[in-house]
Amino acid sequence: MVDRPAIAAGMQLPPFSREGTYHHWNRFAAANYEYAEHHMDDEYARREGFERAIGMAPLMSAYMHCMLREWIGLDDATIESVRIRLRAPFLRGTTLTAGGVVKDVLHEGDGRVRVHLDLWADSDPNTRLLEGSATVVRVE
Amino acid sequence: MTNGSRETLITREMAAAVGKTYRLATSFPIAVSDIRRWAVAVYYPSPPPRRFWDEEYAKSTRWGGIVAPEEFNPFAWMRATPRPGETFPDLWPEPHLGIEPPATCANILVELTTSSTGIGMRPGDVVTSSLSLKNYSEHTGRLGLMLFTTTEEKLTNQVGALVRTYIHTFIRYGERDERLYTRYAGRTA
Repeated sequence: MVDRPAIAAGMQLPPFSREGTYHHWNRFAAANYEYAEHHMDDEYARREGFERAIGMAPLMSAYMHCMLREWIGLDDATIESVRIRLRAPFLRGTTLTAGGVVKDVLHEGDGRVRVHLDLWADSDPNTRLLEGSATVVRVE
Repeated sequence: MTNGSRETLITREMAAAVGKTYRLATSFPIAVSDIRRWAVAVYYPSPPPRRFWDEEYAKSTRWGGIVAPEEFNPFAWMRATPRPGETFPDLWPEPHLGIEPPATCANILVELTTSSTGIGMRPGDVVTSSLSLKNYSEHTGRLGLMLFTTTEEKLTNQVGALVRTYIHTFIRYGERDERLYTRYAGRTA
């Protein structure tokens, strides 16, 4: 968890990584009722133009949320928004590594600090999976 | 289908439907186990933070109890309303609006924005969803002509407070797939 007074523009978030395996995706599928065939079946994914099964966009968004929570902490902060735009499929057998950087820190005068960030996630070998942004709000 | 000199997947009926609300739904009351399972799934293989599953610990925090993660889905598996079979799956707006959907073979979610008001979702909350068609656009790329469909979903709780807003954009492309068509439009050719 970040030392709050140190939050400043340019600060990099610790990377957050998750493997793209059926072990991970099946658990999320069970939580989100998300069993579309291109997440579960390589052959079906190939019919749609992918090399093999692909990870779920809501799970990738959830990973961005997890990364933000691990960085800002859970005690006195909330995630106001997360936006992601997919650039490449999260292929089964690759690893998603997410990162972020603080773009702006706004002190709102009522004990609230609003932090704007750029986010991204890459897979091996260095394929950009998504780009996005987030806003987190720390409350006193 | 053609529209002037350009092939398009957007019919006049589809274009006229932009801005319409096409699906309302309510959740069952959120259970502590719903939140716990979600947290286990998204944090796997790490254990989830105690705030999402340890009720005694959560009471000691400023939140005063368990509050679901900001991306938690209270509608997974089943809704209270509409009941199973009473409506089409959410993804394609057209069947809900009585419009013939484009004949494509794939749906891929490509953009997702989750905005939360800070109110949070707690055990016992009943959430209402209002889903609207926000925009259609098209682009030709590696997969051929792709239809981009953007929807907006607003979630309110049992006292009418806005809890969250989603903006989703998904693409459809390719030749008609009967299995997909039956699933999302409830009809076969």
